[in-house]
Amino acid sequence: MVTLSLGVIALGAGWVAGPSAAVVAAAMLATVVGLVSVAFVGGLETRRALAPYGLLKPGILWLSLFFLAPLWSMVVMSLSSKESRFDFFPSFTWEWDNYRIALTDFRPQFLRSFGYAAVATLLTILIGFPLAYVIAFRGGRYRNILLGLVVVPFFTSYLIRTLAWGNILADEGPVVSIIDGLGLQGAFESLNIMDNGKLLNTPAAVIGGLTYNFLPFMVLPIYVSLEKIDPHLIDAAMDLYSSASAAFRRIVVPLALPGIFAGSLLVFIPAAGDFVNAQFLGNPQTTMVGNSIQDQFLRQLNYPVASAMSFVLMFIITIAVLVYTKFMGTEDLA
Amino acid sequence: MAGKLNRRQFLIRSGMAGAGALSLPALLAACGGDEGGSGGGGGNSLFFENWPLYIDEETVKVFQEASGVSLKYTEAYNDNNEYFAKVQPSLSKGDKIDPDVIAPTFWMAARYVQLGWAQKLPVDKIPNIANLRDDLKGQPWDKDQEYNLPWQTGVAGIAYNMKTTGRELKSVEDLFAPEFKGKIGLLTEMRDTMGLVLMGLGKNISKLSTFDEAAEAFDKVEKAKNDGQIRAFTGNDYVDDLSAGNFAACVAWSGDVLQLTKDNPDVRFVIPEEGGTNWFDTMIWVKGSENSDAVAKWMDYVYDPVNAAKITAYVQYMSPVKGVQDELVKMGGEAAPLAEDPLLFPDEATVARLQSWGALSEEEEAKFDEAFAAITGA
Repeated sequence: MVTLSLGVIALGAGWVAGPSAAVVAAAMLATVVGLVSVAFVGGLETRRALAPYGLLKPGILWLSLFFLAPLWSMVVMSLSSKESRFDFFPSFTWEWDNYRIALTDFRPQFLRSFGYAAVATLLTILIGFPLAYVIAFRGGRYRNILLGLVVVPFFTSYLIRTLAWGNILADEGPVVSIIDGLGLQGAFESLNIMDNGKLLNTPAAVIGGLTYNFLPFMVLPIYVSLEKIDPHLIDAAMDLYSSASAAFRRIVVPLALPGIFAGSLLVFIPAAGDFVNAQFLGNPQTTMVGNSIQDQFLRQLNYPVASAMSFVLMFIITIAVLVYTKFMGTEDLA
Repeated sequence: MAGKLNRRQFLIRSGMAGAGALSLPALLAACGGDEGGSGGGGGNSLFFENWPLYIDEETVKVFQEASGVSLKYTEAYNDNNEYFAKVQPSLSKGDKIDPDVIAPTFWMAARYVQLGWAQKLPVDKIPNIANLRDDLKGQPWDKDQEYNLPWQTGVAGIAYNMKTTGRELKSVEDLFAPEFKGKIGLLTEMRDTMGLVLMGLGKNISKLSTFDEAAEAFDKVEKAKNDGQIRAFTGNDYVDDLSAGNFAACVAWSGDVLQLTKDNPDVRFVIPEEGGTNWFDTMIWVKGSENSDAVAKWMDYVYDPVNAAKITAYVQYMSPVKGVQDELVKMGGEAAPLAEDPLLFPDEATVARLQSWGALSEEEEAKFDEAFAAITGA
């Protein structure tokens, strides 16, 4: 095990060159040395007490190689500057200006990303909760089939599904024809869903795409928490003269909260960083921060600013999640 | 070509893939790839990395038999900027990359030359270089034609869907016509899009050297975007939006639309009266490669009009090689009508309307790219 660990360390250090290698190596060495010395030197009691931490070792090794090291090199990159545009190795110069650029020049994209992600999360709750409720309480023997149907479309590639929406929502596609046929175009325009007779390449299409693509991540956790609810609790509430709606409000919803909480995180976090929906269903005024990061990284070759933007994105999401956790609680995560 | 995946369809599909997260793994994979060389060793092997479906199916095989060179031909060159991002780590460290020859678009080729990442071609051993079309000779960044040899050339103009526009388009101004609000597509390839707009404003893009001279055109596109005139900035996938009727008109590449018109006669291509942008993809010999004999044999081979005509018959772009038109006639069959195609062999009046971008300094190019990125919203 020790040799294996040392092997992984050597390998890891070889992969990530430079200062990040040192971080990885240090983190890994520390865990290995610490645990090995405890194993040999420590008394029985300490050995017992520390045994569980030994079990963490694979996780720690993995995280230091694939999470800490990239994170560190991203921090370093985000504070670097390039002499020339085609300079591949920017030098570390405490270039805080990268963060100013990320926060000012790309402010609209950040706001849009979080706005779209928040609306998409709400929509997935509104659509996902009733769906999960029906499957859990009314599904009967079709439960598993119904659940399967939620997941089946997601066996196809994410990209292909999003592109398919492009065809469905196209100007001469089925949805627009139906809306036109029913004479509902005016209504959709006034709701800001359609713009100038088009459905595709509008903010509504981007939010719709996000909602569609992340829906299962909401349905499944909610289903799991609903499914665990003992129906007798509802019967008991009824026996105590509760109305059906009060029973739903005071029994079902609170017990489903952990599912909603987990689902919200699973939807909001990837949705905020998504760039595929905005790319294929949006227009030049609906770009999200993921698109900007990709563009800065691959087209502008501006790694420092791209790193700063990624870091800001991560930071904001972390804060948002912490705040959310504070209010929603995680003790009973489904 | 019927029934086969043509270049356009391929580009659309790979464009989809490239636009997704898939480009990142490719990038990482490239980092580990400095060893390996071009296989074979010695001077008698060659590795040419080119754009997808940019060659017929015979040439590689026939060339290998005729010359004895073992040629590895791949189609992994998908996007100028992304390919640059992929090879930059190796080349900037002075390491060699696997391919000996690549075919970037001219402005990107200029960047390789300026960075010293391209080496002088063994011109003495390429007698057929004399067949290079005169208008492509002596680019500002390669005045003595020592570093690059064009592979194929084409034009960016305006494509439109007659069914949606209801009228023929002639001018760059049509892209800004209020009647097409939300129905206009522009290319993410900055030079093609901005080149047309600049020409629409009466500028000569070959003489342009600073961003300030072009600022007006950028303002114009930005305003159009804010007004909702522009529906999307796309890569090669514009052909889908165009044939589906999502775009009434868009900036487009000649070869693609040639293909599209065959299936859908409503889709038309026009080189606007103000002018069209001329572009070419050009072969360069990457620094660090040692296979000079094989490079010379290959370039000489494809610059023989007989061989070049076979490639043209398949890819349907304008050949940079003189004499291809006659060879197409001699080939007969399906190839012969191509000799009459005005988009493959434009008349002099059309050629006079074409302009190509001059070289921009690194600093100015950055300004152009940044301003354009700000408009595309990314």
